[in-house]
Amino acid sequence: MKKYLFFDPEKCSACGACQLACMDQNDVDASTGAQPFRFTFTQEGRGGDLHFYSVSCMHCADAPCVMGCPSGCLTKSEEGFTLYDTTRCIGCHSCAMACPYGIPSFGPDGKMVKCDACYERQKAGLVPACVKVCPTGALTLLTETELKERQQARQRSRSQTMLKEFAV
Amino acid sequence: MTELERKLKAKIPGEDTGIEIHRTMCDICSPGMHCGINAYVKDGKVIKIEGMDGHPVNEGRLCTKGLSNRQYIYREDRILTPLKRVGKRGEGKFEPISWEEAFAEIAKNLNAAKEKYGAESVAFYSGYSKWYRQTLRRFAYAFGSPNFGCESSTCYISAFMAWKLAAGEQGGGDMGNSDLFLGWAYNPFYSSYMGAHRAMLLKEAGLKFIIVDTRRTPASEKLADLFLQPRPGTDGALAHAIANVLIQNGWIDKPYIDKYVYGFEEYAAYVKGFNESNIESLTGVPYDLVVKAAEMIHESKAMSTNECSAPIPHHKNGLQNYRSIMALAAITGNFDRKGGQLLSPHTFMHTSCGFASREEEYLYEIKPKGCKDPVGAPRFPLWNYLEGEMQAVDLSRQILEGTPYPVKAVYALGMNARMFPNSGKMFRALEELDFFVDTDLFLTDSAKYADIVLPACSSFERGEFKPYRDGLAWYTTPAIAPLGQSKSDVDILTELARYMDLPDEGIQAGYEAFIQKYILDDLGVKVNDLKGVDLPVKIAEVHVHKDFEELEKGLKTPTGKYELKSKVIEDHPEWGLDALPTYVEPLDGADPEKYPMTLTSGGRLPNAIHSRLHKVPNNRSLRPDPMVDMSHADAQALGVADGDPVVISTPRGELTVKAHVTHIMPAGMLNLFQGYSEADVNSLMDDEHVDPYSGFPAYNSTRCAVRKKD
Repeated sequence: MKKYLFFDPEKCSACGACQLACMDQNDVDASTGAQPFRFTFTQEGRGGDLHFYSVSCMHCADAPCVMGCPSGCLTKSEEGFTLYDTTRCIGCHSCAMACPYGIPSFGPDGKMVKCDACYERQKAGLVPACVKVCPTGALTLLTETELKERQQARQRSRSQTMLKEFAV
Repeated sequence: MTELERKLKAKIPGEDTGIEIHRTMCDICSPGMHCGINAYVKDGKVIKIEGMDGHPVNEGRLCTKGLSNRQYIYREDRILTPLKRVGKRGEGKFEPISWEEAFAEIAKNLNAAKEKYGAESVAFYSGYSKWYRQTLRRFAYAFGSPNFGCESSTCYISAFMAWKLAAGEQGGGDMGNSDLFLGWAYNPFYSSYMGAHRAMLLKEAGLKFIIVDTRRTPASEKLADLFLQPRPGTDGALAHAIANVLIQNGWIDKPYIDKYVYGFEEYAAYVKGFNESNIESLTGVPYDLVVKAAEMIHESKAMSTNECSAPIPHHKNGLQNYRSIMALAAITGNFDRKGGQLLSPHTFMHTSCGFASREEEYLYEIKPKGCKDPVGAPRFPLWNYLEGEMQAVDLSRQILEGTPYPVKAVYALGMNARMFPNSGKMFRALEELDFFVDTDLFLTDSAKYADIVLPACSSFERGEFKPYRDGLAWYTTPAIAPLGQSKSDVDILTELARYMDLPDEGIQAGYEAFIQKYILDDLGVKVNDLKGVDLPVKIAEVHVHKDFEELEKGLKTPTGKYELKSKVIEDHPEWGLDALPTYVEPLDGADPEKYPMTLTSGGRLPNAIHSRLHKVPNNRSLRPDPMVDMSHADAQALGVADGDPVVISTPRGELTVKAHVTHIMPAGMLNLFQGYSEADVNSLMDDEHVDPYSGFPAYNSTRCAVRKKD
C-alpha cells in the first residue's frame, strides 16, 4: 500500500521540532559537524511574504538517486519510500548529484545517509520521528486514500472560499 | 544488516533490543507546560526521546525546546560532584569535594553572615528551573531571612500583580468558548506549541483573531484576521484608543459595568485622550485599524484575551499597559463570563490545578515576623505590598551599596546573572559577596562566581509531584539514575536543612511530606498512589465556571468589584503611583539623536529559552550565531547585508553581532535574543530603566544605536 510523508506548509511555523526529532532519532550530533536529514527554514519573499518549510528526502516516485547510484544502494519500497543499504556504497556522490533537492549527505565513513521515513519504525507500527513530534500536524504519514481525501477536502474548502468572495 | 541490527539502529523498543520506554517529564520551560516524555532507555542511558501519547499537556507531541532533553542531560560539562572554588571568582577553577564537606562549608558561612549581619543579609534565590521553589522559600524563612526571591522578579509576576489589582486573583482566557480572540503579544508557535495547535483548530472552526505584536510572527501570518503592529511599549495607548472607540460608540456593557466594575467614569474620561488625533503618532498604528479592532470586539459575542506575561510587562510602563489591555474585557462584560476571561487561581507552583490546596500555608506559615523588609521593598512598594518577597532586580544594587542593609551571602539555584538588566553589575555584585553558593547542572557563567557549586540532576533523574489543569496529577519516577553524585534540588535543600538543623519541622520532613500534608491530605490521596502511574490521574473534581458567579460573590479586591481604578494604589498615595492605568512613553532618557533605534530582547526563538539551551549543540545548530533582527529599510540605510557584523550600542556599552535582515521587523527596531555569553544583550540594558510598579526591567524598549562594523 502506498504511503506518503506529507507536508502541509500552511500548518508549519518552521519551529524546528521535526528537525531536532530527526537528529535525535538518527543520532546526528551537530557538534561533530554532521548534517541533519531534515531542515526547517523561513523563506521571506521580496514582497515581505513569509513562508515556513520543513524539507527532507521527497521520496520521489521516479527517484533520480536510485537511477544514479552505480552500486545499487538505493531502492524504492512498495510503499513508495526511497530506502538504502550502503554496504556497497563507494562514496562517489552520484546520488547527491542526481538529487534535485541536494538531499543525500555523507557520514564520517564517506557513505551516504539520508531520511528513510523511519522505515523500521513504520514496520514496528510507529510513525516517523518527525511526524510524531510535529506540534501543529504539518507533517503526517498518510495512506493513498487519506491523501486523496485530504486533497479533496482542501479543494472543497477553496471552492467555498472562492464562492464567498464572488458572492461579495 | 540483520533484522536485530536494523531494529537497534532504529531504536525499536522491545525485549530483543533491550530498549525500554521510561515515562518522565520535561522541565525545560515553565510549570505551565511540563510535557510528558517517553524516554527510550538502553543500559541505563537515554538514547531517544519523544512525546507521550495521552499526556494531558502534549498528547504525544514535543517542541523544539523539549527535544533538547537528551543532549541537555548528557552535556559534556555536567557537574558530577560538589565543587569548591580554588581560583578567582569567575575564573572557573574548582576542585571536587564531598557533599559532607560542601554542607559543612555552607552551614559555617551562612551562619557566620547571620551572626555578623543578621539573617536578612543572606538572600535565597531561584533561577530556572522552578519546581523546587516552595522548598527554597520555606528554607529561607526557616533560616530567618525575608529574602526569598526568584527569576519571576522579571517574568510573569507583573502580570499576576495586574490581575490581583483588577480582579484579586489570576485569570485567563476561555478561548474554546469565544468567537473572538485578542492575542496580544501572542505567538504560541514559538512559546507554547500546543496552544498553536489548538489555535489553528479553533480558527478552522471559525474563531476570529486580532493579533497585536511589534514584530510579524507565525501567529500574525497564520492566525490574524486583523494584525496591529504597535511600536514597543505603546500597548497601553493602543488599548486605551480601542477602549475609547468602544465607549464613544456605546459598544460597552453598561449594566454590567454599573454592577460589577469600579472606577469606570474616571477611566472613560482618561481614555478620551487616546484618539484619532494622536494614536498613530503615539503607537504607529493607523486609527482606522483601531476602529476595525473595536468593531470586531463589538460584533463578537464572547471575546477572550491573551495578555502575554513576559513581553507586555517588559517595559517601564509594562504593568499599566497590561492593566489597560485587561480593561477591554471588563468594559465589554467579558470578564467572569463563558468565552471571556475567567479566574483560574494558581494553587500549586503557579499552575491552575482547578482544585484548592494549602500551598500558601506551607509557603508563608513560618515567614519571619518583625524582621526587615525584603530587598527591593523601598524602591518597589507595590511589588512589596502584593508579593512580599525580594524584588531581585534590586539585588545587585543592594549588594554593592549595602543600603538599606547589607546583603553578604547568596544561596542560589540556577542563578543567571545575565538575566538582569546591566548584567555586568550583577557579576560585580557576585564578586563582592562574602559567600555565594550556586546549584546547577552545569558550570554556568554565574556558577563560576560561586564559592561552592552543588550538582543538581535533571527532571529525568528525579521523582516529583506535578499537577495539571482539570484536577490531574502524577508523581514521576526517575527514568535514569542521577548522573555522578548529582541530586534532586529538593533533596539537596532538605539534607542541608537537616544538616543545619533549621528550626522547622516542615522543612526537615522533606518534599514528599510537604506534598502529602499540604496538597494531597485534603483530597484523600496518597503520594504513593501517584507514583508509577502511566499518565497523570484525576485526583480532584474541578471547579466549574458559572457566569458572573465570582462577581456576584465579590472579587478579592478591596471593593469586591473589578477595579479599573485600583483601590490598593488609591489608598497608598505615598507610593506615587497612579490608580488608573495611565500611560507614559516607554523609552529611556538616552539622547534620541545619538540613540535613534529601539532595542528589544523579548522576541522568542523556538529552539531556545533564555540562556538554557545555547550550549545544547543540536538546538544551537538551528541558529548558531547570536544575530540581531533588523528591517530591510534599516539594513539598507546602514549599507549592511544579511550576515554582516554590526555594532549595537547603548550608554552602557556595545556588542558586535551578525545582522539578520528580515521582513519580520519594522524599521527603527532591533531584536536580539538574550542569554548569549559572547553577546549578552542585557549588558546593554539599564538597571534604572525599570517599571516602578513591578520592578520589571524594560528589556523590550531601550534606546540604542547601530552601525556597520568597520
